[in-house]
Amino acid sequence: MTPTLLETPPMADELLIPADDSQPVALEELLAASGLEREELVELIAIGVVELRGTQPVWTFHARTVTLARRASRLRDSFGLNPSGIALALTYLERIETLERQLRELESQLPRAAVDG
Amino acid sequence: MKFKDYYAVLGVDRDSGQDQIKNAYRKLARQYHPDVAKEPEAEERFKEISEAYQTLSDPDKRQAYDALGRHRPGEEVQPSAEWETRYWQQGGPQEVDLADLFEQMGFRTAARSGRGARDFAIRGQDLEVSTELSLEQAAHGAEVSFTLSVPVQRPDGRIERQPQTGRIRVPAGVIDGERLRVPGRGGPGHGGGAAGDLYLAIHLEPHRLFRAVDHDLYLELPLAPWEAALGAEVSVPTLDGPVTVTVKPGMRSGQKLRIGGKGLPHRRVGAGDLYGVIQIVMPPHCSERELELYRELRAASTFQPRHHFDDAHPAGDATHG
Repeated sequence: MTPTLLETPPMADELLIPADDSQPVALEELLAASGLEREELVELIAIGVVELRGTQPVWTFHARTVTLARRASRLRDSFGLNPSGIALALTYLERIETLERQLRELESQLPRAAVDG
Repeated sequence: MKFKDYYAVLGVDRDSGQDQIKNAYRKLARQYHPDVAKEPEAEERFKEISEAYQTLSDPDKRQAYDALGRHRPGEEVQPSAEWETRYWQQGGPQEVDLADLFEQMGFRTAARSGRGARDFAIRGQDLEVSTELSLEQAAHGAEVSFTLSVPVQRPDGRIERQPQTGRIRVPAGVIDGERLRVPGRGGPGHGGGAAGDLYLAIHLEPHRLFRAVDHDLYLELPLAPWEAALGAEVSVPTLDGPVTVTVKPGMRSGQKLRIGGKGLPHRRVGAGDLYGVIQIVMPPHCSERELELYRELRAASTFQPRHHFDDAHPAGDATHG
């Protein structure tokens, strides 16, 4: 068996441009980027933690869903969760993040000495 | 290559069963998983834990790892010739990371099992880098450089780590905790698989004056008691330079003055707001003349700030007066 010769990724000194946040992400791209199985994603959409972008017959997703889907597959792999478990964990994490954001907002309104000191 | 004690990382004995290893891993994962834990060291620790688990949970890899023998962590280990013939058909790698070695062993197993190259096309690794930006850089956009240690397969099949540098353009309008995705610029794929993606995590440095909450900025705005009472025109700093703001008479501590559109910009159009949070502050020392004026004010005022403490007035009356 001959090992495949792999190229070094072309990132020597070329300026890399991140994906446009407003561009839709296709289903196949989301699956490849996240490592989720198609059935798992379908179930997460049915449960309501993953949202579709618009209502076109061809499924597309928001760019921010890539981060969410990657987190979903990390939780699946690390804790052996099924889609319901993933959905529950994602819901709690989102709740924690909302609360942390509110905490930051409130802290930002306190005098500095009360927060930093 | 440097030896790593995978059993010690998971805190299990060398003769532990698969269930014990799995339980130890699950327990540690709950504690250090980067999605759950918030400590900055958690991510590094979790990498070690999952690296150890990936090798010890696979019977083939565990057997090969055990055959390397016992060593101290960090000790240089050279696999024996016998180890190489047993687990590595084309000669063991020299300058490699133990994790890469066992990762590649998985590919070898797949390759040897007789499936065609197309069947084991494996997508390249996603790479994660993070960067600290100032609020000014987040507002105006920036260019950041990064260095990664990337496993690369050489023509003879060995994997070695190579440093790779790159630059990413960060568009204006990013916020703290955001992850920018650069598709196809992660690690190369194996067996015809697509390349992985590169992710840049954005962290905003603390600012001397402003605190960022998503796209909004908060600024503590101190007022002297007489400014709060009489109103004032004050100069307020923003990321685009100072603006003059009219403070109405009768401001209280904690009230917010909204300065529209002076927060962090959104990616396309518009921007968050800047909030000046009023703090009424006392001068550190009052002169005799100032004290005299306060005494005069005390005599002249009928204001009762603790009016609502009085039993005769129920709590509902608190705002009265």
